Amino acid sequence: MKNPFKDIYRYRELLKTSVKKEIRGRYKNSCLGVIWSFLNPLLQIAVYAIVFPLILRNTQENYVIFLCCGLIPWTFFATGINRSAFNIIENGNIVKKVFFPREILPISVITSEAINFIISTIIILAFVICGGLGISKYILFYPIILLVQYLLVLGISFVISSVTVYLRDVQHFIGVLLQLLFYAAPVVYAPETIPENFKWILKFNPMTYIINGYRDIFYNQVKPDLVGLGIIFGVSLIVCCVGYFIFNKLQKGFAEQL
Amino acid sequence: MEKGNNEYAIVLEDVHKVFNVYLDKANTMKEKILFLFSRNRKEKREVLKGINLNIKKGESVALIGVNGGGKSTLLKLMTKIIYPNTGKITIDGKLTSLLELGAGFHQDFSGRENIYFNASIFGLTKKEIDERIDSIIEFSELGDYIDNPVRTYSSGMFMRLAFSVAINVNADILLIDEILSVGDQHFQEKCYKKMQELSEEGKTMVFVTHSLETVSKLCDRAIWLHDGLIKMDGKPKEIIAQYIEETK
Repeated sequence: MKNPFKDIYRYRELLKTSVKKEIRGRYKNSCLGVIWSFLNPLLQIAVYAIVFPLILRNTQENYVIFLCCGLIPWTFFATGINRSAFNIIENGNIVKKVFFPREILPISVITSEAINFIISTIIILAFVICGGLGISKYILFYPIILLVQYLLVLGISFVISSVTVYLRDVQHFIGVLLQLLFYAAPVVYAPETIPENFKWILKFNPMTYIINGYRDIFYNQVKPDLVGLGIIFGVSLIVCCVGYFIFNKLQKGFAEQL
Repeated sequence: MEKGNNEYAIVLEDVHKVFNVYLDKANTMKEKILFLFSRNRKEKREVLKGINLNIKKGESVALIGVNGGGKSTLLKLMTKIIYPNTGKITIDGKLTSLLELGAGFHQDFSGRENIYFNASIFGLTKKEIDERIDSIIEFSELGDYIDNPVRTYSSGMFMRLAFSVAINVNADILLIDEILSVGDQHFQEKCYKKMQELSEEGKTMVFVTHSLETVSKLCDRAIWLHDGLIKMDGKPKEIIAQYIEETK
């Protein structure tokens, strides 16, 4: 089997330029440009911060901060996966015409989403500081949680982006699935508020541990659950390897299917 | 024959390629389930029926033949855009294919940015592109237009830029599909000259073309593909004469 890292290293310039293209191309023709990177999550937070306190009887303290610690990592997860469903098809014209390691495509989408997420973290920081919570030393765990999430999203993205080429239905299905997962992860509510007999859902959702991790370092300002995160790191690594394996098997037929 | 030896750039061993031609492509789940029961919709078309071919390093080879003979498929297999059903393809050296010019150009980006993007698709690093950027721009003759967005280019300018990138990639093996009709007379001649230069430098080149003039001008070997098989293989002059005779 070929060595994936060697290929990616050789094509690092392509990876770099496509990440740049992803980030710059997104807001290319809008007046506000990169400001949308901030405005989008902010507006989203505003919507949830207005709606959910009305629905949920007792929300958390500092609900806006609580919310943005969950919503911003969730957005990274959801947009990453959503965009990977269209990834290969969108790039069909180059996939059909030029040879390059195809895994560059999902990797650059997820990397650009990760960079976007890092930029959006400024919002969390701003809220935490302005809300009077301040920043704790546990913020040092941030890169670790980010790495775990990156691997998880990338692994899923390998599978989704390659399977969609053969089965376009995945594109439509993925939106609904993400919506379901959104409520199956503690994004808008705290895990403790869930009835006992539904708690197993959260337990099996890897995003629970990741969101809890971010929340611990920013909102609760305690040491994150390292055992849980360690397990999810292992899971993410497996997902990533299996995902790459599937992608590699399916990529041989991309040019013919598109 | 050993593989990976230094004499051959491209070795094909008994390569078969079958395309599934869907007369009605089933996309939805419902159609897919229905299609399981009706079998007549899918047609297998064997495009290559066992190709054995060795191309030596430094050779300029032309693939000729009527449409549907499998020429482009063969090139795509060599680039690894598609993969053979059976058989083996061994490539020795860095390979660049000019199947379609300007694939992956981004309309909103400037010519210069597109050079970086396009060249990186061919596997060049930033440093390598930096070294070549001047000669690429010079070859394209775009001058000051290079910093304008590509969408403002005329189609000729677009093709010139794309060709300049591809030709300056510095690969050992070049695969070229029907693209020598770039730009005006002046630019075409420049391209031919560049090709000849590259050939003299010892690059391996494989052309797919219908222009028999190109074949006799640039190539030292011609391969005639017909119905997925190699019909003739040899000196361009003899092959062309025979080809003209038969396709009259």
